[in-house]
Amino acid sequence: MSLPDFGFYVLCATAVVLLAAQAVIHPTEFVQVCIFGLTQGSIYALVALGYTMVYGIIELINFAHGDVFTLGAYVGSAILGFFAISEGEFTTVNLIALLLVFPAVMLIMGGINVAIERVAYRPLRNAPRLAPLITAIGMSFFLEGVMFLWHGPATVHFPDILPKTATTIAGVFFGFKDVFVVVVAAILVALLAIFINRTKLGKAMRATAQDRDAAQLMGIDINRTIAATFFIGALLAGAGGMIWGLYYNTVYYQLGFRSGLIAFTAAVFGGIGNIPGAALGGLIIGLIAAFSDSYIGSKWTQVVVFGILIGVLVFRPTGLLGMRVPEK
Amino acid sequence: MVRARGLIVLTTAALVAFACGGTTGGGGSKGTIKIGSDLPVCTIGGQATANGVQFAVNQKNAAGGVEGYTIAYQSFDDCRQGAYNADAGVDNVRKMLDDKAFLGMVGPYNSAVAKAEIPIAAPQHFVMISPANTNPCLTKDIAGCSYHPQDLRAGNQNNYWRVVTTDDYQGPAMATYAYKTLGIKNVGILDDSTVFGVGIAGSFEQQFKSLGGTVAKHSEYKKEQTSDFKSILLGFKNAGALGVYVGGTDDQNICIPRKQMKDIGWAVPFMGGDGIETSDCIDQASGNEPNIYATSAGADATQVDGAKQAIADFRKAFTGPNDFGGYTMQAYDAANALMAAIGRAIKDANGMPSREQVRAQMAKTTGFKGVIGTYDFDQNGDTSLKIVSIYVVNGGLSDQAIKDSTGVCGSKTKNACFVWKTQFDFAKPA
Repeated sequence: MSLPDFGFYVLCATAVVLLAAQAVIHPTEFVQVCIFGLTQGSIYALVALGYTMVYGIIELINFAHGDVFTLGAYVGSAILGFFAISEGEFTTVNLIALLLVFPAVMLIMGGINVAIERVAYRPLRNAPRLAPLITAIGMSFFLEGVMFLWHGPATVHFPDILPKTATTIAGVFFGFKDVFVVVVAAILVALLAIFINRTKLGKAMRATAQDRDAAQLMGIDINRTIAATFFIGALLAGAGGMIWGLYYNTVYYQLGFRSGLIAFTAAVFGGIGNIPGAALGGLIIGLIAAFSDSYIGSKWTQVVVFGILIGVLVFRPTGLLGMRVPEK
Repeated sequence: MVRARGLIVLTTAALVAFACGGTTGGGGSKGTIKIGSDLPVCTIGGQATANGVQFAVNQKNAAGGVEGYTIAYQSFDDCRQGAYNADAGVDNVRKMLDDKAFLGMVGPYNSAVAKAEIPIAAPQHFVMISPANTNPCLTKDIAGCSYHPQDLRAGNQNNYWRVVTTDDYQGPAMATYAYKTLGIKNVGILDDSTVFGVGIAGSFEQQFKSLGGTVAKHSEYKKEQTSDFKSILLGFKNAGALGVYVGGTDDQNICIPRKQMKDIGWAVPFMGGDGIETSDCIDQASGNEPNIYATSAGADATQVDGAKQAIADFRKAFTGPNDFGGYTMQAYDAANALMAAIGRAIKDANGMPSREQVRAQMAKTTGFKGVIGTYDFDQNGDTSLKIVSIYVVNGGLSDQAIKDSTGVCGSKTKNACFVWKTQFDFAKPA
């Protein structure tokens, strides 16, 4: 075992021991905090997948991705406004609105992300690495600007249309919303895994990620495959935005910046380019954030999360499940 | 008929004022004196405050101006990217200072802006009267402050006054109300890590403890870092808190925890300062609006008999639903105090006064009768009116009840509004 690996395991073991102690001393609180962490983590996972897919295929840190996620919540909130939804109780209209708007927002965000790729990244595909990175940051500011002009700086209310059923089991409080977030995220991740592993386009994406030139020689339409990657990444980001809105009921235009960075950390944590890694990384980062909020203090959470990013990059640059990007 | 005649007089006066404004210095007016305001008019509260200044100036001009001079009012906006910004405020003050016709201003709205503006305005003896600043550090030499009034003035005479009292009364008022009236003996305190939030939370904590209360936990967060407050709230709940006091403002998402209290099934009162007495706060608390308690460092004009007529007149002139706000009448009083000082300075100078003359007259203000009360100012610019009001959000209000209240309502949940509960007068011995 190398020294960096050893350091990594020592850190992990210490954290696990401390948490186990908490679990034994205050079991109810621990389970409750785990629920907070899983719900947050599910959303981070959905966003992290978009980062990791794009990075896997064109090695670009798509800084605008977090803002696509936020824009998803804005768009969802706007479309839901057209329905006669009820915020007080769960009605049939709510259910219909949800079933229509949720996929619609995913598709709209997919379309927007494809357009972003076409305008801001494709022309720079063969430019030095720094150029698309800078357009990505520019795109991020652009999207934030659009949301700012749309609704101003204040928080935007997202309709509270999910059932408000909640229950307490053995002192642990959770509601339908908590279950909804985790289940929907899990379904989407499972669908993505099937798509990547079982379909022709998924295979093309994996091939392009492995070696773009060789894939092209084999007759894969690179532009189409990369566009598809952006499309699918944004489907998940749009879903993440919807879930965020339905769960927290407030969004503001700069939300994507921080959530995006945390999701990016999750992607690196899981091994950038690695799809199961991003999902797992998202969940773990969500849990770590909740533990840190509860046991250390919320002002330290950002320090903890980005400390982990540094730790991973130093001790285990390939992440938990290993990086899946071509050696160059 | 009386009213109709009044309207004609008013209209004629307005036309005369308009005509005079058109021809510089001509026709009855001895000239034009400018006053400005520096407020975050991009926000509803900021614009409602500027309306108060506009209303005072309109009334004064309609009544013949100040000692024969027409008052021209210009509203400056200190917003950048939709929120108040100290640099924008400084730019605005520089613009006013560059124009010799400006003899004073109403504003700013935010204490952080005042901190940046006073050092620029003080050397030029430029009168600033804030309708809303509540940070005690601006006028009081308190050890815990990161800046002190004498440093802001840098050796110049005081040029800053305010018509509201200070946060060091807001926190204690809520602490007393929570402990004695609501019967809450144990609270969790959350602050947003801003100068304002930390200050008001600290003053609440001190008073609450001195009354015999227990602070279960004091946590802080930063807007950019925290969207999920459930862990913090759970910490309060598990530590035995029976209420939450927040030090902060809605632009730092301070009321999102209110919504999330419902998400963890915790129904206890949620309290804070004037930073939560806003529409945005009610929107952030969506689904869990009732029992949000907020203080406001100042009287509620609608609860003051002396202000009833002015408010009724204001409502006639400004008919929009958001035109009137919690600081409109404070701005009205501030503008009138400024114009009164300008009037005395004109007499003193027997003509167009200098900024220093206006400042000197403002400093001599005693027994100024505003609509909210009679103001005396101490040498640091603080008012003798030390009234703190307490509001609570009620849900499901009738349209009439909403119309009658000064308290803001939610923009989504329109029938959930802040309703005046009571007030503390710290000027009177308890």
